[in-house]
Amino acid sequence: MRIVCPFCGERELGEYTYLGDAKPQRPAADAGEDAVYDYVYLRDNIAGVMSEHWYHGGGCRAWLKVTRNTLTHEISAVEPTAGAGAAKVGV
Amino acid sequence: MVGSAQTHRLTSGGLIDRSTPLSFRFDGKTFTGFQGDTLASALVANGVKLVGRSFKYHRPRGILTAGSEEPNALVELRSGARREPNTKATTAELYEGLEAASQNRWPSLSFDVMAINQLFAPIFVAGFYYKTFMWPAKFWEAIYEPAIRRAAGLGRAASVPDPDHYDKAWAHCDVVIAGSGPAGLTAALAAGRSGARVILCEEDFVLGGRLLADGGMIDGLPAAEWIARTRGELAAMPDVRIMTRTTLFGVYDGGTYGAIERVNDHLPVPPEHQVRQRLWRIVAKRCLVAAGSIERPIVFAGNDTPGVMMASAMRSYISRYAATPAGRIALFTNNEDGWRTVETAIAAGLQVAAVIDARPDVSPAHRSLASKGGFPVLNGSVSAVDGGKNGVRKIAVSLTGGARAEVEADGLAVSGGWNPAVGLTSYHRGRPKWRDDIAAFVPDGAPPGMVAAGAANGAFGLGACLREGFEAGAAAAQDAGRSGNIGSMPVADDEAFSLTPLWHVAGKGKAFVDQQHDVTASDVELAQREGFQSVEHLKRYTTLGMATDQGKTSNVAGLAIMAAVTGKSIPETGTTIYRPPYVPVAIGAFAGHHRDENFHATRLTPSHHWAAEQGAVFVDTGLWKRAQWYPRAGETDWLQSVTREVKAVRGGVGFCDVSTLGKIDVHGPDAGAFLDRVYINSFSSLAVGKARYGLMLREDGIVYDDGTTSRLAEDHYFLTTTTAKAGPVMQHLEFCRQVLLPELDVQLTSVSDQWAQFSIAGPKTRDLLKEIVDPAEDLSNEGFPFMGAREVKLSGGIKARLFRISFSGEMAFEISVPARYGEALVRNLMIAGKPFGVTPYGTEALGVMRIEKGHVAGPELNGTTTAADLGLGKMMSTKKDFIGRVMAGREALTAPNRQVVVGIKPTDKARRLRSGAHIIPKGEVPGPDNDQGYVTSVCFSPVLDQWIGLSLVERGRERIGEIVRAHDPLRGEEYDVELCNSVFYDPEGGRQRG
Amino acid sequence: MAEFSWDVRSPLDRALVVGPYGSTGDAGVSLTEIRNFDLIQVMARRGKAAETAKAAKARFGVAAPETPKAVGTTDATLIWSGPDQFLVLSKGGKHTIEALAPVFAGSASLSDQSHARALISISGAKARMALAKLSSIDLHPDVFPVGAAAATSMDHTSVTLWRGRDRAEAVFSLLVFATFAESLWNTTLDAAAEYGVAIAHAADLG
Repeated sequence: MRIVCPFCGERELGEYTYLGDAKPQRPAADAGEDAVYDYVYLRDNIAGVMSEHWYHGGGCRAWLKVTRNTLTHEISAVEPTAGAGAAKVGV
Repeated sequence: MVGSAQTHRLTSGGLIDRSTPLSFRFDGKTFTGFQGDTLASALVANGVKLVGRSFKYHRPRGILTAGSEEPNALVELRSGARREPNTKATTAELYEGLEAASQNRWPSLSFDVMAINQLFAPIFVAGFYYKTFMWPAKFWEAIYEPAIRRAAGLGRAASVPDPDHYDKAWAHCDVVIAGSGPAGLTAALAAGRSGARVILCEEDFVLGGRLLADGGMIDGLPAAEWIARTRGELAAMPDVRIMTRTTLFGVYDGGTYGAIERVNDHLPVPPEHQVRQRLWRIVAKRCLVAAGSIERPIVFAGNDTPGVMMASAMRSYISRYAATPAGRIALFTNNEDGWRTVETAIAAGLQVAAVIDARPDVSPAHRSLASKGGFPVLNGSVSAVDGGKNGVRKIAVSLTGGARAEVEADGLAVSGGWNPAVGLTSYHRGRPKWRDDIAAFVPDGAPPGMVAAGAANGAFGLGACLREGFEAGAAAAQDAGRSGNIGSMPVADDEAFSLTPLWHVAGKGKAFVDQQHDVTASDVELAQREGFQSVEHLKRYTTLGMATDQGKTSNVAGLAIMAAVTGKSIPETGTTIYRPPYVPVAIGAFAGHHRDENFHATRLTPSHHWAAEQGAVFVDTGLWKRAQWYPRAGETDWLQSVTREVKAVRGGVGFCDVSTLGKIDVHGPDAGAFLDRVYINSFSSLAVGKARYGLMLREDGIVYDDGTTSRLAEDHYFLTTTTAKAGPVMQHLEFCRQVLLPELDVQLTSVSDQWAQFSIAGPKTRDLLKEIVDPAEDLSNEGFPFMGAREVKLSGGIKARLFRISFSGEMAFEISVPARYGEALVRNLMIAGKPFGVTPYGTEALGVMRIEKGHVAGPELNGTTTAADLGLGKMMSTKKDFIGRVMAGREALTAPNRQVVVGIKPTDKARRLRSGAHIIPKGEVPGPDNDQGYVTSVCFSPVLDQWIGLSLVERGRERIGEIVRAHDPLRGEEYDVELCNSVFYDPEGGRQRG
Repeated sequence: MAEFSWDVRSPLDRALVVGPYGSTGDAGVSLTEIRNFDLIQVMARRGKAAETAKAAKARFGVAAPETPKAVGTTDATLIWSGPDQFLVLSKGGKHTIEALAPVFAGSASLSDQSHARALISISGAKARMALAKLSSIDLHPDVFPVGAAAATSMDHTSVTLWRGRDRAEAVFSLLVFATFAESLWNTTLDAAAEYGVAIAHAADLG
């Protein structure tokens, strides 16, 4: 598999590390145990198009959001995560 | 013994170099062949027909094909450490001194004791493994398996390590082309002329594919001249790479292709510094499969007799190699193309005994050829072959209408039509589709970016191959953004093609579908009767197509027979799933450089070479080599060395290279806030110039890693991780920075390799440091208190960092210098510490001292423990959010009966402890119900003069003083141990603070 | 007080043996280790990429690379190492972390990597062939021209690779983590041996 890093260009799979579903958002500090439980354990196992977190650890160390079809491995989009590089986020 | 001297070589012709004779040995006999021969063609030229024994029945077998689809002519190539089993004689290039041996026979090829298996044939039917050896179960390993392994099998692998080298490389191009027949060559021409970067892979050692045997006129030139011209044009293009001896074997995601290059298999030993084979990973925007097609056999009784050969293979041996497989041949065909073999044979001066054509409508041209040649054309099928290990003698023919005929011949050419090589196009679960007009499967559902052209796409005529290749090459180049002038397309005439499908001729005797795995037509029928009708079941039950040839000559016939017996059509019956590799690839090629000491990359600490000079014993810790202990003269075992090192530290001073710890610069205005979120304890409150022990959790509340982090400036922390988790923690922190906490202004950099770091420990640490640190630096308890951290100047002006932290429980500092000074530092520590008996110590002594101090490490941070389990629950801040906070509060993670860290010591002081032993209450029977934990770390404590350990034990800390049983079924030991405080040494901590 | 010497020692000090290696004849690959350099990682702080770029321009007279490129100045090379970050490679103490700290104060975080890497220069007619065994990226001159850079991996080890100015032929520069250096060096020798190798070390960045 090859992933086009938005910073480095197309690279082979060996430079990347897979994490998993990029959809779940870490709950706020006061969200309570149920919400955190859902976040930690309840993950979808999608047969089809999925948004995933990948780490370009063998390259520029950016965390990426990769839209991938888990059936065909077709990658339709790759974008940086919010805090990659020096992007100013929030306030 | 000297074999016959090329008795079956034509006096002229062929693409062999008669000026370079090569001598070789087969089964101990010496023969000669020529440069340009394969082992198979050289054997043919020497009149050798019998080359192996079959897998199950030990039937005599000859050479069936002239390519990589060969099921029968498998040999052990080379000898000793370089012996390679199951090598196809049909692709093995002849070289001077080649040695080969036939397989699966004993004591000799012509007299094989195991041929008796043929008499027991009924037990070797489909599924015989499952039926015959069911009972009694204990007989399997003792009797059945060894017997089967001796009786059935292929070649023997070498029993010593392969002395040759292999490597792996990457290549990138616009268009990769598999195959250099007419379609492959024109594809390369069009793409190359467009300006595309092209890689042309050809598994043979010369370009040309079927043109080498079948010739033809292209652009008015004889094929050989056209190939030479084309090769010249391609070679002159700087971005076209021609790779012969290279098979494209697999297709992977994202346009990545696997290819195996047999760099030096055509030499007995690769030249110095060269590899035998190279595995290529080719990244290509487009892939053209011009891999041609494979002629398929017709299944009839005795179709495995030596001398029965594919019609196209017979042409190859005669035309390309000028070698004659037989003197008087018959042809059995169901299609027009088979007749070319007759034309070739006549041109070579061979006798033609008869043509058995299954089609009723043989063309007038062929009829007139027959009448001129004086041989009959029989409308019908071959029903049996009479012959044996010495080859074909007679051929029985069932004529259309029911009459019988007999033909005397010593060779039978067979053509059942052609199967496009659909392997590569089907590797992403593409299912080939059936075409009635050619009665064959053609590619469908090829992976993105891949197309087939020419015979691989079912276009069998020469003109069509040239055209399809050229057009596909031009299109692929255009897709890759290349638009140069493609010039004119090479042209040739198309041959007529007509075929009447025929798969299986009923008759008496074994009719083989899969010759490599000895699967017969009746096995397929039996599988159907027993309910294994799906092609996938058929494959597993009969093992059809599961041999090293992957059923290249057998799969389609097998499923055609299944279709016939089930009354379904062939497309309804369908194909099995195709999987790479297309040809067998040596494990050595996949490993490449990564074997023995190069199995993985190795990391060396800055003091590595100094430690090696000292005779240190190294241990692999992840990728690292770490000094485990430093043996001295007279020490007879590791425990002596380790005990001496511990005593030297506790009584004086020692040092240990701790550069392997992960080190991370955490910069930025929000660095403190960031660390508060990743550690369970607070770091924003840490004063500049101080260090603090920190613990990280996973989001599920389990401990992730620990280490000391120092604040070097308002906006600069220096974080350390354990050796094992250095990489994962960096990744985790980047995830926190970029994904979870992107609003924080913090920057992370690994500085693991920037600093050489040593722990200096023992009561005389300060004395040693005073020697080496600039006198202006205050190292007193007041000037540099416990958990202090700051930059200091060393004598000589070098800047270093000092951290007053202790893992050993002694008065200790960690000192770090920029890595290129690391070796100088260690040598200077030896000089400065000489008056104090300074002793280098390794990871074992480090481990002993941390166990004596009850410090947790890897065995306790084992992915099951919470901070509280480790006795560190109080570190968890209640004033802030941090990773793992909420889940750490779950009921099960805070249950009172959790297994927690506690010390153990044996009641018998002389007893040695072992980690891994289970803890059970005294008086209880060992077992899952009574299992209360396990021993995690043990050591011999020189201070206490006995073995001690740390354990995870249910409610352990409430049970201090209780005697429990340590149960060690692995070593067959059980003994009493006392649960005790986990801090065995200096529990008040006065020594490290003093 | 004892006398101490503070010799610096490259991580390749033991492994590197000057002279020919592998196949005899004209060396197809030249491997030269460049010793003793300053290497500072500059990482823009959040929202300060433009300020960092400005500071770099003022200091070096050229814009710092914003994409995978290496930019040469009169006395330093600026090499892209990730989004909003770059490395400053120099010799002779001109651009040490102490010297650069005031330049980027408030705009970027600096981390000293001078001792964290070994620097190897790879050239020769067969340099690309040898590199193809180590690197998964495309080094064709059209794809990886002079000034191209990549943060990538070799032998599962992170490296920074760039193409500096040609010296008669293409020259590739490789920064590898110091503790991996000996291992990758041996792997590189293995890859290049069949082409013949000329091994040297040098003090100049060239």
